Amino acid sequence: MNYQFDLFFIANGLWPLLKGLVVTLELTVAANIIGLTLGFVIALLVMNPNPILRWPFTLFIEFFRCTPALVQIVWFFYCIPIIFDVYIDALTMGILAIGLNLAAFNAEAYRAAIQGVQSNQYDATVALGLSPFQRTVYVVLPQAFRSALPVLVANGIGAFQQTALVAIVALQDLMYMGKILATDTYRPIEVFTVIALIYFAISFPISQLVEYIERRRKAENS
Amino acid sequence: MANTKYLVEMKGLHKSYAGGVKPVLQGLDISMCPGDRVVVIGPSGGGKSTLLRVLMGLEDIDKGQLLFQGKNYITTDKYGKTVIDKEIRRNIGMVFQHYTLFPHLNILQNLTLAPIKVRGESKQSAELRARGLLTRFGLEAKEKAYPAHLSGGQKQRVAIARALMLDPKLMLFDEVTSALDPELVAEVEQVIMHLAEQAMPMVIVTHDMHFAKNIASRVIFCAGGVVVEDGPPEQVLGRPKEARTREFIQRVFHIGETEGVGRELSI
Amino acid sequence: MELDFSVIFDYKAALLFGLLLTLKLTAICVVLGCALGFLVAIARSSKNKILYGVSTVYVALFRGTPVLIQLFWMFFCLPLVLGIELSNLTCGVIALTLYMAAITSETFRASFSFVSKEQHDAGIALGLTYRVHTLYVLLPQAMLRAAPTLLSNCTSLFKESALVSAVGMADLMFVSQNISNRTGHPVELLTAAAVIYFVIAFPITRAVTALERKILHTMAI
Repeated sequence: MNYQFDLFFIANGLWPLLKGLVVTLELTVAANIIGLTLGFVIALLVMNPNPILRWPFTLFIEFFRCTPALVQIVWFFYCIPIIFDVYIDALTMGILAIGLNLAAFNAEAYRAAIQGVQSNQYDATVALGLSPFQRTVYVVLPQAFRSALPVLVANGIGAFQQTALVAIVALQDLMYMGKILATDTYRPIEVFTVIALIYFAISFPISQLVEYIERRRKAENS
Repeated sequence: MANTKYLVEMKGLHKSYAGGVKPVLQGLDISMCPGDRVVVIGPSGGGKSTLLRVLMGLEDIDKGQLLFQGKNYITTDKYGKTVIDKEIRRNIGMVFQHYTLFPHLNILQNLTLAPIKVRGESKQSAELRARGLLTRFGLEAKEKAYPAHLSGGQKQRVAIARALMLDPKLMLFDEVTSALDPELVAEVEQVIMHLAEQAMPMVIVTHDMHFAKNIASRVIFCAGGVVVEDGPPEQVLGRPKEARTREFIQRVFHIGETEGVGRELSI
Repeated sequence: MELDFSVIFDYKAALLFGLLLTLKLTAICVVLGCALGFLVAIARSSKNKILYGVSTVYVALFRGTPVLIQLFWMFFCLPLVLGIELSNLTCGVIALTLYMAAITSETFRASFSFVSKEQHDAGIALGLTYRVHTLYVLLPQAMLRAAPTLLSNCTSLFKESALVSAVGMADLMFVSQNISNRTGHPVELLTAAAVIYFVIAFPITRAVTALERKILHTMAI
């Protein structure tokens, strides 16, 4: 291998990446806020008995789940300005694209969790004389959130990794800055490896924490 | 020549869990004759299921020796490791509490898997025998069904048939009706009775005392990992010699002290 | 805003060509990825510390980083590391296969631990050898159990394949972007691309649910 691995470069030349990391984190946090709240609302709408409310949002979920995230992001960036004749800045568009994608996946997670709890607890709440509203707020939702949590966090981490895709539409996140740096300095191995490790260093502890909490919960319940 | 007077001989069987912390079998010495139908009763954790599992070669032992038809079946080597003669193990069949049919195979396939794959029997021959067994048990209509579609009682009868396909010389039944709805228990016990009538030697662990009374030629009361009492059913179930046995029987038959101390159970 | 959907039909040959590459890439990586994933799952279940360690690190890395960086790494770094030239297709296949293997290994591992200990006991009671028990009792159930999730892993791979457009491979995404740049009709073409992906992925996700239900109903697995 003719490539000279340059450790000095890693120590000193990677500061431009920091700016990109900030953008990546902004995207992740904002998209997660949208994904968690909007996802919940959509889940409720999808479970509504009224078909007029149900069908459009079911279609929304299916569309975001069955098309590549890259296609969604590119579509957002190029088509929304044309269709709605507006200018939205790149960061906001990125947040929207990833946020809506996340909302669709989270809606499924919420729905599965809520339906999972409902079937078990219905009879008991009727026997206790709780109203439907009380049943939902005091029995179903707390349990649903707890059981949906691991999936929601996993989806959130997935969104974090998906933010890398905005580099393709030239939004200056970690990945974009990395690609520029790698090609400018002819040091792809150091740069890309460090970038991969940065993504990993943020995703891995969170996913391990969730797994640990899940294991503890299972052990307590059995 | 090996001594074949006894079918099974257990000598000085010791077994514990968690490295000696939790002893389960503490020096069992039991011999079983060819025609015996042994029922093992006792409190939970007293060692009855473990005894059966050891007999089947599913568990290791700490100390002791098991002989089958006079030949060494299970022993420990000089390092304390359990050595099981797999050829001899093939002569013993076992049915468990929780059906354990293979869910991805239909009933006929469940019955014929072992004969075909392990004994090299031809498919036609195995299927013929399997159908014969299913007919004997009244299950011929279910041959293509999957276990998920059978009732608990049907599943257990299939499990028994599956064990019988291998022509065992000894059958072990580990609480096979404990997990069944009451109305399904009778059909399974009937099948076991049928086997008893055909002189199949068996060891049965059960909670059902009435069944025990009907089928046993010998009852062993096992508690705390030792044999407390061992004798004919009229004795162990009716007029127990040991106080512990009596206490257990009274509890199981729900006869309290207020109904008269020393009252004899009618058999 | 004027939309002219006839553009799609003018370029349908190119779009078809892109779609074929997408499908070809997906098919190759599904097969290789499942095979490798199965082996990795076995390594992850083994008692050998080295096998376990290496496979665990591998799976953690490929599940904990964006697929895009994996692709870029294979495309930009791997040729340098190996000292040989690699075609676009090779890099794409390697990256997607490694990703697919990582996710399917988790699927397989979950399915292995599924078959109960009691069935193992029943196997011994029937005198089944280790080989027969593994081949005829353990593996069939594990595969049946894994099938719906595997199918869903395939859909994920199909969607991730769009990333190869970022390294210049002429898949469906690349072609539609290219045409849309050339003709100035992004809405029509990108929507068409999205719809094509949807039309293929959606039935598969429905099939997954149906398959799960059928298996549960017939076999209670």
